[in-house]
This record gives sequence, structure tokens and C-alpha cells, in this order.
Amino acid sequence: MTFQELILTLSRFWSERGCLLQQPLDVEVGAGTMHPETFLRVIGPRHWNVAYVQPSRRPADGRFGENPNRLFKHHQFQVILKPSPDAAQRLYLDSLEACGIDPTRHDVRFEEDNWESPTLGAWGIGWQVLLDGLEITQFTYFQQAGGMDLAPISVELTYGLERIAMHLQGVDDVYDLAWAPGVSYRKVRHREEVEQSKYAFGKVDDFPAAEFGGTHRDLFDRYYALGERLLASGLVLPALDHCLKCSHTFNLLDASGSIGVTERAAYILRVRKLAVAIAEAHAAWERSQLSDGGTGVEVAGGDNADDDAAAGHPPVEQVGEA
Amino acid sequence: MEHRELLLEIGCEEMPASWIPGIEAQLAERLAARLDEVRIERRTPVRTFAAPRRLVATVAELADRQSDLEETVTGPPVRAAFDANGEPTRAALGFARKQAVDVAELARVQTPKGEYLACHRRQAGDDTRSVLGGLLAATLRDLAFPKAMRWDATLDDGRGEFLFGRPVRWLVFLYASRVVPFEIGRTPGAESGGVAPVRAGSVTYGHRFFGNGGTPGAPIEVTSFADYRDRLADACVLIDREDRRERVTRELEAGAAAVGGRLATLDQQSALHAEVPDLVEHPAVVRGTFPSEFLALPDEVLSTTMVHHQHYFPVVDEQGRLSAHFLAVTNTPGDDSARNERIARNSERVLVARLRDARFFWDADRTQRLDDRLDRLDTLLFHKRLGSYRDKSKRVEELAKGIADGVLGQSVEVARAARRAAELSKADLATDMVGEFPELQGAMGGVYAREQDEPEAVWKAIYHHYLPIGVGADDPPSHDALGAAAVTWAAVALADKVDTVVGLFGAGERPTGSRDPLGIRRQAQGMLRILVDLPELTGLDARVSVGEILGPARERHTNDDWSKVYWALDQDSERRDFRSIGGISEETGLDRGRVERLVEEHSSELRKAAATERRLYTLRLKPVSFLRERLRYLLEERGFDRRNVRAVTHQPLEDIRPLDARRKLEVLPEFTETSDFQTLATLFKRVKNIARELGDGSSSEDPFRPLTEPAERALLDELQARRAVIDAAVDTGAGFREAFAEAARIGPAVDRFFNEVFVMAEDPTLREARLRLMQRVEQVILQLADVSEIVPEM
Repeated sequence: MTFQELILTLSRFWSERGCLLQQPLDVEVGAGTMHPETFLRVIGPRHWNVAYVQPSRRPADGRFGENPNRLFKHHQFQVILKPSPDAAQRLYLDSLEACGIDPTRHDVRFEEDNWESPTLGAWGIGWQVLLDGLEITQFTYFQQAGGMDLAPISVELTYGLERIAMHLQGVDDVYDLAWAPGVSYRKVRHREEVEQSKYAFGKVDDFPAAEFGGTHRDLFDRYYALGERLLASGLVLPALDHCLKCSHTFNLLDASGSIGVTERAAYILRVRKLAVAIAEAHAAWERSQLSDGGTGVEVAGGDNADDDAAAGHPPVEQVGEA
Repeated sequence: MEHRELLLEIGCEEMPASWIPGIEAQLAERLAARLDEVRIERRTPVRTFAAPRRLVATVAELADRQSDLEETVTGPPVRAAFDANGEPTRAALGFARKQAVDVAELARVQTPKGEYLACHRRQAGDDTRSVLGGLLAATLRDLAFPKAMRWDATLDDGRGEFLFGRPVRWLVFLYASRVVPFEIGRTPGAESGGVAPVRAGSVTYGHRFFGNGGTPGAPIEVTSFADYRDRLADACVLIDREDRRERVTRELEAGAAAVGGRLATLDQQSALHAEVPDLVEHPAVVRGTFPSEFLALPDEVLSTTMVHHQHYFPVVDEQGRLSAHFLAVTNTPGDDSARNERIARNSERVLVARLRDARFFWDADRTQRLDDRLDRLDTLLFHKRLGSYRDKSKRVEELAKGIADGVLGQSVEVARAARRAAELSKADLATDMVGEFPELQGAMGGVYAREQDEPEAVWKAIYHHYLPIGVGADDPPSHDALGAAAVTWAAVALADKVDTVVGLFGAGERPTGSRDPLGIRRQAQGMLRILVDLPELTGLDARVSVGEILGPARERHTNDDWSKVYWALDQDSERRDFRSIGGISEETGLDRGRVERLVEEHSSELRKAAATERRLYTLRLKPVSFLRERLRYLLEERGFDRRNVRAVTHQPLEDIRPLDARRKLEVLPEFTETSDFQTLATLFKRVKNIARELGDGSSSEDPFRPLTEPAERALLDELQARRAVIDAAVDTGAGFREAFAEAARIGPAVDRFFNEVFVMAEDPTLREARLRLMQRVEQVILQLADVSEIVPEM
């Protein structure tokens, strides 16, 4: 199964089970959780089922295209089911089977791994899913976002697409993956990894470290100030974009060694402050929507599920345990 | 009344392995307590089992009715219950109304406080089945998880939302083979097609993927515990941890033997061995191999990658060297060799990817000497009030050198090696390997120091300087492992720990209750343990006092006025209960006004009332009392009697020599049961109290000349005869057995003295002489132990 077939398979699987198919956020982020389709949708009472791919940038993991397992940018397939259905684990395992992973031929395990994002004021309870010792998915029941208790509880499934594809294709080097028939991952992405890693680690010609750091601090401050102003006029989503830009800029500063430990903690705290304010503004907006007559139980994707749903693939709400 | 079987299974999503033993114990304890509370008699005990997806409890013989309840509720006193006309008062009427009876029906009972109105009630027990639902709700609420989660669940017990360790997906709840109605509800906000209440039934589920006649995951109807247990075994679930543990052990040993090796005995591996049975419902072991080129990596890296990151068990060869084989415990039946093969090959690929990463770090880190990394430590914060790791390692350098030459009396070379080890001790925090594998801090620094040709006395000291962690006599490190670095190690480890404990306390960080996020307790215990076991760990028979280690560390941390005041306050609380502003001013050399201002500024740290009285109570739980508690804890953990431990740790903390304390404790039990010793112990408190009557003042040349009574002369003679041995033991730290024997022999003479002599004689000279005699007894005995702590318990 090629990399793109894997994406297609998971997209079809979750679409058939009532998920809205969203698109990646067009801002640099470190994880699919930061997408408003997760970070904001899990807040408030309204039900929502959604799936999307999110290219995720982790500057510190950049390896100049030389490491077979680590990437500056990897791809997550993200699913949010709100409320979390009782059969969440079963549905997830079915999705693996759809991808050609038969759990009875392997050792599939759910091992404790709680997730926490200090910058988003978010945490959840859950597992890493191991396939013969390989971590392929983070499975999380969200408990808080933006420092607020969540109700109902959403479940977040984050598939590591490169890892799963490597397993399916039996390759040991990510660059040997077949993205599409006859087109390797190397061909599609290697140059990007090399160049982005150089940038992330501040290896830029005629751009001394101090200046590199200074420029990015400046960018951080400007994004931050803009984010605050946007939020002040109630533009929650543009404010989130700029908050995420701050987060990414901070990651670049961190990876390039431009900040010390104490400063580091201060940066994290600033991002968190803005993220929490954004989450709170969004929660207020959610409440205003409900008081305008919303029922709080509308289901995204419920009406959009394609015809296959009727043809034997029950939507999320109808799948029972076992 | 009949007795029937109860069966409860809470089917949930995978619980963290580390919680399972504790939760299983809680379930047994709480269910039994709740059954007692509702008066349902058990003829057989509550048995519990636990696996990742289920908590199970059963009682083979449980009464089918509650016992009847008979109780007497006491009301108001009779004198307050009726007025002058004999009419019931409001108190009487209120009580009767509350008990739902007429005043006339109330009884009267005699109590030590007088006659009271009372209501006798007799309540017939209900059918067990009718109370089990409420009992299950209460039991579920009782279970305390290290971290509970919200999952849109409620219980109909008036308390609303129901949090649990993981979502509950099914419940088996049978009494006498019939389902007891029970339901976990769901919050209205989560209502949807995919979210339903969890209703108790008679259906369980087996292994997620295996067993059950080829239809894994299908519902399994059960009727009794025996049936349940058997059917689950068929469905590839071993509910008894002991069964899983045995299987793990057996298969691991067989697996290691099959590749011609045996299991490595690593500390982290034994923790893994304890955890693995709770990671799976049916363990089976597969064998894997990695390319032998990776054996060039340090053992520490190999084993942490296998054990810590992948939960694999390394295999060692005949000589105990790591081999290229490993064992993985899977959650499978283990009966399909093709599947085992497949899992093993995939596991190998995961492991090799990790090892390849580790090799990258290993190669990259060795291109730079540890010395060249010290500058990076400036940017790594140890604590905001204590500076960077660079600052810390500089302090540790000085302290370690001082301990090596000053305290342990070592040569210049040894002191220099200790200093060098301390200098490099934190450098590995700036390496990629420790960045990736934080648990390798210390060990990795040692390995890199070895790679850059530091002598053994240096690299092994770095390697082990975070040890000891356990307080047991056999916990690592061993003298063997320390080798030529034993003494330098002790100096560096003591210095590092005392700097952390003293520094963090000074920075306002102190453990409270169960909270100790910075691990200060462990650091303190590590430091004390080195002193307790110094000969065994290092070969040095040095009786180091706590003060010798603590003093220099305090000096390093006393660099501002408040810390000077702070430490001046930290005098031994058991000797001087409080300090005055004047005393602190004198001790710190700061003027009174300054001390007052500082005390005012930090008043929240001090007791306010004390400060306004211009007298400062010593701060509770500061290093002195904290360290004494840790020392007592450590010695008690070694199995020494609590009273004996208190007796030998009574001195001012700074004067305590932990090694002496241990040696005294090793011989003390030989005496504590003898009658002479018990006589002494019993009378010693009286001796101490009387000795306290003696005012200060110089004594005459021979203070005991006025003593003429035979009993007092006998006691004096006894003391003079015995003290040489006692003094010698206290001076040299050897011969405590003889010393305690001699001390015990003084007991009968003290007894006779108290029987025959009246201390508080009218003649002041005679009285003072007798008081001085008591003081002498106190001094002689107290330098050995405060034996009044050892009075037999009544």
C-alpha cells in the first residue's frame, strides 16, 4: 500500500463512519491537535466528528534528510470523535484492518501514554498503540483544552502515517517509502528535509546565530502582538493562526539553540497564555451559539456521509462494542 | 439464611500496568468494607483478580440477607425532656419526631452522664440482592486511581458524574448466578447513538484478538466464578496475575536458554519483570536478534534502549556479557510460530532503528570532550535560586574536595580526583545521548569520561554519583562496582547530595506530605546512607558526623543576608527551642534592625506570633529535623526497632555519626530484653528529669565528696568502674557491645540508689552532690544512647 493509498484508505474509512473530511491547517504546526478542528472543536457541548491529514513540523527532529526515522516534517492522520463513542477502540482497530493490518497476525497493544501540551493548556488520558513494538498511533481521551474541563469528552486518534506506511511496505528507511507507484518518499520530500533542517538549526549563510535568533525573536513578538490584537477584536481563528505561528517560531528558536532554559520557560508560558485566552474566547462564542437556539447535538459529517454508509458501513453512532 | 456466590467483573479499557496491583488490592479491601457496612455476612473471603481490561471480585459464600440491625438512639437527657408539669419539651418532641415515634414510646436509658431518652429500633435485614446495587456504586466510587478520567459517565447515587481509571465497557454482576440490576449512566451532553449506559449483565469478553473458538471479541455468557474463569482461560485471558507472572518467567528463562544465554540481572529489568504481567492478558515470549555490530555500543545504552524504551529483556552470555539476543513479551497465545516469527522480525526492526539513533548520538558525542561541554551547562538551569548546572558543579567541586581531604583524610591525589570527577559530573547533561535518554545521566557521563581516558577513580565516580537510590544495605552501588573510585565516589556523591538538599531547602523547596517533586527525600537518604555504610561501600572506617558534611554546604549557600538568618534559625530544635533576634544578630554579624526587617519580609515562612514576640521558633521541617527523620526512616527500613533507632539518634543532628548509630543498633537488641538493661531504661527518664534540676555553676574539686550513703557510693563506684569501656567505645566507635553490657550493669545500682536515697536532701551541699551524681549517670549513658526511649511498651 503506497503512502497516498494509506491516506485514501483512512480518509474513506472515517468518512464512511460519519466523519467530516477536513483539510490540513495552512499554518506551520507541530501536531494535528493544534488545528482548530481539534483544539477548538473539542471545547463546548456540540458534537463533531472529523478527520484530516496534518503535516507536522518538528524543527528539533530535523536530520538533514540523513536519518531513516526522523523527520523535520511528518504526516499525522487525525480523527476527532465527539463525544467519544463506546466503541472507539473497536473502530480504531477496524481502521487498521482496513489498512491491511490484521491484529491477529501481530501483537497490538494499548500501553499507557497520557498526552499533555503545556502550550495549549491541554491534556488527555490514553495510550500509545504499539504494533509489534512500533508506536503507530496516539489514542487520547481529551480531558482539558485551554485550561478548561471538557464535556462531552472527545477521543483523538493520531496515526503516524510514515511509521504505518513503513510497516506496511516493509522498509527500514522512510525515504524508501513508495509515496505513489514508482514515486519514492525521497523524491517527494528529501530536498525539503535537507533545506528545512538547515534552516531549523540556523545553518544559513551570512546569517550569524545572534542575528538568526534576533530575527526570530522579533517575529515571535510581532506575531504575538498581532495575535493579541486580533483576539481583542473577537477574531478568534486569525488569533489562533498567529498563536500557532508563535509556537512554531519558538520551536525554531529552541532547535537553533537561540534561547536559554529560563527564557525557554518564559516563552512557553507566553504561548500558553495566548492559547488559553483564545480557547476561552472560543468557549464564549460556543455559548452564544447555543443561546441562539442551537441544540448542541448536531453532528458534523452525519449528513455528509457518502452513500456507502447506507451500504453496510454504519456511522460512528451505530457501532456497538464487540 | 443461605449463602450464595457473588461475582463482579468491571470490564474496562486497558488500565496502566503499574496501577493494577494497587487497584486489585483496593477492590478487595473496599468491597469487604462495604459488605461489612451493610451487614452482609461472608463465610468466605473476598477474592480479587485483575488484568489490563478487567477488575474481578468474587465471594463464594455470601449471605442472602443482611443481618438484622438493632440499635439504640440516645436523645436528650430526661431532665431536659419534660417541663415542670411533666409535659414533653421541644427537645423531647423533636427527638420523637425525628425517630418517627410518639414520645410515649420512647424508652429511658441510664448513662454515666445521667438518664436519657432513647429509642430502641430493630430493623429486619433486607434481601441481599436489593442492596447490592447501592453497594456496587459505593465500591466503584471508593476506588482511588493515581489519575482518574472523565468519560461522560454518571452513577445514580446522588453524586453525579462518575470518574474512573479508564472507561468501563461492560459489567458482570451476578449473585446466585442471577444478574443484579445495575447501571452506569451517561451524561446528557454525550447522548448519541454511539454512547450508551453500561448495564450489568452476565456477559464478559475474552482477549481482544484471540481465543474463544476462533471468534475473539464475541460475548461470553457466564453463570459462576468457576465457569467465568474457565471460559476466559479458553478465551486467552489469564485473570490471575500469578499465573501470568509464572508464565512470563518460565517463557523468558526458556527463551534465554534457547539462544544459549540467560536473563541479564539488571535493576531496571526486575522492574520490567514486575510490570510485564500486567501489560498483557495472555503473555507469550518471542525471541529476537539484532546485528552484533551494535554490541559496540555501551551496555548502558543497549539495555536502556531494550528495557526502558521497548520493554524487551536483554540476554547475556555465559560470562554475563550482553548478547545480540533479546526477548519480548507479547499479548498473544504464543501458539502460532509464524506469528511469533513475524512479531520477532518486526520488533527487531523497531529496536535496530532505535539502536541506530543511539549509535549516531554515541559517535557524535565523542567528537567533543566533556570539558568542552561545561560552557553549555551555564545555560542549563538547576534551580532558579541556585543557578545553573555549571554553578552547581562548581559548588560540588569544592565540597567534594573538602570531603575527600578534610573529612575523609585522603591524599592530595584523591582529593584532586574527587574534584575532577565533580567538575565533569554534570557535563553529560549537555550530550545528545542524555538528551535522548535522560535516565542515562551520570552513567553516560562516566562512560564518556572513560572514553576520554579519565582514570577509574574519576570516571567511575561520575558514573555512580547519582547513587545510592535505595536505602537497603545491598542496594547499589557495591564496593566492587565502585572499584578504585570508591572513595572519590563517596566524596562526589555526598557533595552533590548535600548541595542539593541544603540548597533546595534554602530556596524554599521542601517536601510536604506525599509531595516531593524534586526528590529531596531520596537525595537526603542517599547522603545518609553513604555515611551509614561507609566501610562497606568504600573500605574506609570513617565515622563521619552529619555536621561535617552539612556545615560546608551551608556555608556555600549562605551568600545573602536572609540565608544567613535562615541558617542561624536552623539550630537544633531539640536542644534550643527558639532563638532571639539578638542571638541571631550575634551569630550572623548582622545588626538587629536588619535581622528584624528580614524576618518581617519572610514572615510567612516563620510563625507570625513568634516573630512578634521577638523570639523565633525554629522553622519546622528544615534540614535538621528533616534529616533526622530521614536517618530514622533509613534505619527503621533496615529492620531496626523503632525505639532503639530513636535512642541512638537523640543527639544534636550535627553530632550524630550515622555509622556509630548503625553499629549501636546492631548490638542493642542483645541487651534490651535483659532485666538489668530494662531497669536502667525505666529509671533513666527519672535520672534525666532530676539532673535537669541542677542549675549551672562550677563544681568543686570533688563534687562527690559529700556522698556517704552506701547506695550512692556504690553507684559512684559502679559508674567509675564502667565508664572507661563506655568512653572508649564512644571515642573509637568500636566495642559498643561491651559498652552496652557495662551500661546495663549500672542499672541495679541506679535502682538501689532510688530506693535508698532521697535526692532532694535539705542540705544544699548534699543535694547538689546527689544531683551531680545523677548528671554524671546521664552523661555517661547518654553518650551511648538515650535509653529512656527503650522502655518496654506496655
